[in-house]
Amino acid sequence: MDNATLQPASTEAKAKIPAIRRGVKISLDKLVIFGAFVLLFALFSVTARNFFTLRNTLTLALQTSTITLMGIGVTFTIITGGIDLSIGSVVALTGTIAVMAANVGIPIWMSMVLGLLTGVLCGLCSGLLITGLKLPPFIATLGMMMVVRGVVLTITNAMSKPAPDAFGDLGNDTLFRINQQFPGIAYPVFIMILAAIIFGFFLRKTRMGRYTYAVGSNEEASRLSGIKVSRVKLVAYMISGFCAALTGIILASRMVTSQPNGGMSYELNAIASSVIGGTSLMGGIGTIAGAVVGSFIIGVLGVGLTMQGASYFVQQIAIGLVVIGSVAVDQLRYKKK
Amino acid sequence: MSETILKVEQVSKRFPGVQALDKVSFELYKGEVHALVGENGAGKSTLMKILSGVYRPDEGAIAYKGKEVHFQNSRESSAAGIGIIYQELNLVPHLTVAQNIYIGREPRTWLGYIDDKKMNADSTKILKMLNLDIDPATRLNKLSISKQQMVEIAKALSKDSEVLIMDEPTSALTESEIDELFKVIHSLRDRGVGIIYISHRLDELKHIVDRITIFRDGHYITTSEYASISMEEIINKMVGRKLENMFPERHNVPTQKKLLEVRHIVHGSILKDISFDLYEGEILGIAGLMGAGRSELARAIFGADPITSGEIIRDGKRLKIRSPSDAIKNGIAYLSENRKEEGLAVKMRLDQNVTMANMAEVSKSFGIISTAQELKATKTYVDELHIRTPSLMQVINNLSGGNQQKVVVAKWLFRDSRILIFDEPTRGIDVGAKYAIYELIERLASRGVGVIVISSELPEIIGMTDRVLVLHEGSLMATLRTKDTTQEEILNYAAGLNAQPAHSNR
Repeated sequence: MDNATLQPASTEAKAKIPAIRRGVKISLDKLVIFGAFVLLFALFSVTARNFFTLRNTLTLALQTSTITLMGIGVTFTIITGGIDLSIGSVVALTGTIAVMAANVGIPIWMSMVLGLLTGVLCGLCSGLLITGLKLPPFIATLGMMMVVRGVVLTITNAMSKPAPDAFGDLGNDTLFRINQQFPGIAYPVFIMILAAIIFGFFLRKTRMGRYTYAVGSNEEASRLSGIKVSRVKLVAYMISGFCAALTGIILASRMVTSQPNGGMSYELNAIASSVIGGTSLMGGIGTIAGAVVGSFIIGVLGVGLTMQGASYFVQQIAIGLVVIGSVAVDQLRYKKK
Repeated sequence: MSETILKVEQVSKRFPGVQALDKVSFELYKGEVHALVGENGAGKSTLMKILSGVYRPDEGAIAYKGKEVHFQNSRESSAAGIGIIYQELNLVPHLTVAQNIYIGREPRTWLGYIDDKKMNADSTKILKMLNLDIDPATRLNKLSISKQQMVEIAKALSKDSEVLIMDEPTSALTESEIDELFKVIHSLRDRGVGIIYISHRLDELKHIVDRITIFRDGHYITTSEYASISMEEIINKMVGRKLENMFPERHNVPTQKKLLEVRHIVHGSILKDISFDLYEGEILGIAGLMGAGRSELARAIFGADPITSGEIIRDGKRLKIRSPSDAIKNGIAYLSENRKEEGLAVKMRLDQNVTMANMAEVSKSFGIISTAQELKATKTYVDELHIRTPSLMQVINNLSGGNQQKVVVAKWLFRDSRILIFDEPTRGIDVGAKYAIYELIERLASRGVGVIVISSELPEIIGMTDRVLVLHEGSLMATLRTKDTTQEEILNYAAGLNAQPAHSNR
């Protein structure tokens, strides 16, 4: 055999194609969903009266903020190859805990922190069931969904309780209010934007974020690379619980009551938004930006169809078709590769 | 008794980059056990897959019971009466024995539902024929592995197989289970079934084999009565290949400095009290047959599997290795034989895989990744290891096997590992890329890294190592100086035919 021919000859020349090309490719991938969102938005702007107004856009952002927050959280668990079905129940529990705390005289901010801690704790429980008892994430979080719901119904006797007025500030006040036409941007929208930026940065640019992808892409290879897989998963579920808690507190604040029955089946909308945004249920693939756009597609569909006079039932059909369609498109694209 | 039942004539099969079979011939009589032996890559499996209809030959003819046949798929060959039992059992653990035997062709009653009574009765008949005392209504996963294998044989017989192909049937069995299997094979032979028996364990052939055929590198070498050929001849004919030019020139010189001392490693019955040293700049081979415990030894040192007892010492200090991350901290790296399953995150990018084991090196404070540093590091190794890739951010899935292997190496070099354990480093890599991997291993050793190479390919062991450990069923049979040994000697130890006295009582 001729050794000379075996030597890789001109690899150096090939090896340094700059990063620009990748940037273009990724944004192309993203553009598909973002394009769908813009298209949808434009469609409703044309067909539904009053859809394309500043006021309506702000309302849309406010309404969508809750599902976006939950979508951001659940995206972490899905990227690790798991799922979090418990977040709808966590929304109810955390909001209720915060309201109850405020009602016994604990300062509002502290009762909200208490709610957030409760959410993180719920995530920790799910995570421990998954990493410690080695339960499949679907089962662990399905169990947690029922347990947490049961807990919140038990401690409240399934009754909504009003909160102190000041508790409602977070959900109902706005920043930069000018007049009737521009009522300002609601706090929840700011929280959503902040969460998207922080968690997006965390996932893309930090070690723990990278490990999240690595664990979902190949758990055994990650373990053999020295990554502490259990810790990565725990963090992902705690983030999911934290985001659900943010949602729960915002919802309780907007209603200025505790909602032990609230948040039901929200987890499914959150998972849908993440999946529409390109997160793979097989793990290893997904972005925060995708989850945000995905949740806004759901939000636009909801608001737009309502304004066109379509019933809630029709909206459900539309959202279902979008979930199926977006994943089908992904599948076709991967097959081609 | 020499009535031919199956005849393969001048069959060739080519895969991209490899001539897997080159005009091979093979003849099987009724009522004989015919061993087919050869090293990995000799073409045994390819021929079996052609006989069972999985592949179609590029040229040549197959005659079965005197008629030329062209099987289009495995269903056709099994309907014709050629049964194959793969190394991994193809059974459904949660179904009963009878349901497994008749899976996909369950007898029906006139109403169209499954006739359990008939199925169980027929199964009992077949099991009796094999002298097996198994209740057909037992769930399969309640049986031992050897019994499950018998069920697989029963399944093949229930299709009236006249030819039975067995691929490494004993690799998962204990001694007594093997005896059981041999009894069944004898009774099948006596009933006129022709059996093709593929095995790496040359020592066990003498109990059952009538004739033996040897393949090497896709070529037919010879067929002989087993009684008239010696073990030495068999091994010579299996190996007989020139080694020049397959391996790079060796420059590395092992020093006297011990890099790693492994002492009395025990892992259940998989690893039985194994001790050895690794020196700086040394390439140490680990040879052995399938199931000898080679990968298990590597995984034990790396902390990937827990060990029962034993010590790993580096620089005179006893290491506490409970997980891979402990091993990595101590400069030990393990490059798994299953690259895609255990070595790489194939959906992720090249740069992300290279830095995966050493993220701290490319991170700023608060664990924030510096993309610039990451790309710089990746570029260094892409250049150094000649990784062929269109971009530093290519997704791993899109790289070739050889380049993927280099990415795994890059990952561990970036971690500054002092001890690299390569598990089957060239498996599934084409010949050209193999040379590049060998060069790389040599270069690492020259730099003072201690390299352990686990390989099933003896030429690789002979061509690339300074010393070689030979394992057999979890025991260290011999530690040999590569210069002073031969493939034949290694194979002798690996087959458990003898043991170095120094090792037998350790």
